[in-house]
Amino acid sequence: MATRIKEDFTDATRWRRRPRPTFAWLAQVVSGVLLLVLLTMHMVAQHFMVSGGLRTYDQVIDWIRNPVVFVVEALLLVCVTWHGIAGVHAIMLDLGLRGRAERIAARVLLDLAVVTILYGLWLLWMLAFGG
Amino acid sequence: MMRADPRRGRKRQRRSRWLDPRGRHLGTWAFVANRLTGLGLVAYLYLHLVILSTLLRGPEAWDGLVELFRHPLVLAFDLLLVAGLAFHGFNGLRLALVGSGLLVDRHKAMLAAAAILVGLVTLVAAVRIFA
Repeated sequence: MATRIKEDFTDATRWRRRPRPTFAWLAQVVSGVLLLVLLTMHMVAQHFMVSGGLRTYDQVIDWIRNPVVFVVEALLLVCVTWHGIAGVHAIMLDLGLRGRAERIAARVLLDLAVVTILYGLWLLWMLAFGG
Repeated sequence: MMRADPRRGRKRQRRSRWLDPRGRHLGTWAFVANRLTGLGLVAYLYLHLVILSTLLRGPEAWDGLVELFRHPLVLAFDLLLVAGLAFHGFNGLRLALVGSGLLVDRHKAMLAAAAILVGLVTLVAAVRIFA
């Protein structure tokens, strides 16, 4: 008589049974975790450490000229753009976008991400060192 | 008689499943809410870039905008933004763990923990913004 073995649903077994995570999914998780750290730093430094929650023009420029702040803000821009645009792409896939339409949408979103990052970096550079 | 394209049917079915509220569990609602807050935050990213571009027009333009940002309606929007960010961050972390096969049987407890953390962060932000 065949014995039915009760399935083992321990975490380790469950992990092995999962399909291999895709690069897009892993990148979304890693950028999301990085964003939790970078956004907390941004919110605390830009809004919670200042009286009234907003910096004046001179305060913003002084703050951005600090090399550590400059790097943190640039990293935040790259992470948030990647995470956001990849998230929009994932939603499009969820809603059933496939084939040629999906390839066009992915291309448009990638171009949008590149333009956003380049514009944001230019803006940061101009504010810190432009004048 | 023309036969219906089965791919179109599947696409429509997938789309309707995503948008169909019937028979949904709390975890699915949290997943959908994560996607919706994500879309809102992407829209805010571009609004934020437009606002920051005002810095290029000099101190008068920026400091005038800062005065506008002290309006109670804008402050209420800021609070909504913090709540949305906190929800997307903490619930996103939960989704990443569950998606990795970790703590799957604790997903409801993690959702409760995420809700408590969102409440706390929103409360602290409300005190900082309106006090």
